Order: sequence, then C-alpha cells, then structure tokens
Amino acid sequence: NPIYDSKSPNASNLKISRMDKTCGSVLGGDEIFLLCDKVQKDDIEIRFYEEDEDGCWEAFGDFSPTDVHKQYAIVFKTPAYHSTEIERPVTVFLQLRRKKAGDSSDPKQFTYIPQVLDKEEVLRKKQK
Amino acid sequence: KPIYDKKATTTSQLKITHLNLYEGPCTGKTEVYMLCDKVQKDDIEIIFRRESWKANGEFAQTDVHRQIAIVFKTPPYEDQDITEEVEVNLALRRISDQMESEPVTFKYLPRNPDPYEVKRK
Repeated sequence: NPIYDSKSPNASNLKISRMDKTCGSVLGGDEIFLLCDKVQKDDIEIRFYEEDEDGCWEAFGDFSPTDVHKQYAIVFKTPAYHSTEIERPVTVFLQLRRKKAGDSSDPKQFTYIPQVLDKEEVLRKKQK
Repeated sequence: KPIYDKKATTTSQLKITHLNLYEGPCTGKTEVYMLCDKVQKDDIEIIFRRESWKANGEFAQTDVHRQIAIVFKTPPYEDQDITEEVEVNLALRRISDQMESEPVTFKYLPRNPDPYEVKRK
C-alpha cells in the first residue's frame, strides 16, 4: 500500500461535496457548479459513466482550468448521453478523477432527462 | 493609511466571482451557489438591497465551502405583488468591520407575470 502525504493536493482523497444540479438534458450542455475537496486545475477531470450488462459508457464534463475556482469548486458543462433518443430518465454516475494518477472520488448520481418534443415535431417524425 | 495583510481573511478584499443563478422568484427561497474570494464562515453575510429595502441571504456556517463558496437561499422580496422584474443589489459583507464586496445584480421575478390570466384566455 502506498503512503500518501495527505496535505499534498495530488495525493489527498478526491471528494465531491455538493452539486447545484443532479439532473439535466440528455443533449448535455447544462452548466453545473460542483463543490469539492482540493483539486489541481490542470490535473482533474469529471467522468460521467454507466456500467451495465450491455457494456460501458463514459464521457467527460467540459471545462477549462480557469473554471476551477481556488482548487475547491468547478463549473462545468455536462456531456451528452450516448443516446439522445431515451424515452425515460436515465441515471448515470459521475466522479472526479485525477488524470495522472488515475484515482477517483466516490461517485454521485446524475439523471439525464429525455428531450421534450413538441407535438409538431412528433408528427413530423411519425410522417417520416 | 493602515497596512493590510492581503492574505488575512479578517481584512482581505471581498469579491463575488460567479453565481449559478442571477434571478429568481420574488417569493425567495431560491438556492444559489456563489463562488467568492476567501471568507470566514463565522464572519460573513450576504446582503440584498434596493433603495430602503434590505434583507439577508440565508445560510448556515456549514454552507460555506472551504472559504471560497457559499450555498444560500434568497430572501423574499419586500413586495410579493410585483408585476414586473425588479433588479436588486447583492453583496458580501464582513460582519466584524462591515466591509462590503462590489455588488452584483439579482433579478426578482413576479410570482405570476399575468395575474389576471388575460393572455391565457
């Protein structure tokens, strides 16, 4: 077992404390404020993932190092879900992960909400 | 002129960097995430202000995250029957020396923008 310096930001445990939203559009692009334990702005990613019998899916939250606020908060945009044609909400996980060391935080749930199609759009699709 | 330790949270400049929401209903209770420069959780308040009206954002010390973020709830606006949006100022204020940050604008929205439901009929 490796021994970590718990005061050093690249060895301490990653943790998501709080998020302002836990659901969003299946198309992605929703802005989320995430409060966390200490991270380094150039060595952190936000991984969305799903693991089931059909296989695995992963995608990453979209942000730049300047979106990491004082090492303890990240403002990012959600990635699109792999299928935008879902009919019911789908719950996936997200976690913080350090790029270099590959270690990650405990996951939090995130729910993708189906696109609301207006009636005209539904009719148009039916005609196709 | 006094010399301040810029790093000390007891005297440092207060600054609001970013809010996740810049508007909410006049009924208040909207949860807002604020990112800010370092604050002390037991010596900070969030002031909403417009003309003679003043109210505080609601939060507990545990809602102050690592000195750089505050999750708070908006206070209800004084007039619950506004029919148009009202812009108010929101600022951080240190309780001990009453120093304030630059304000940011927060917009209160009417409860029902069309109270007589004229447009729906």
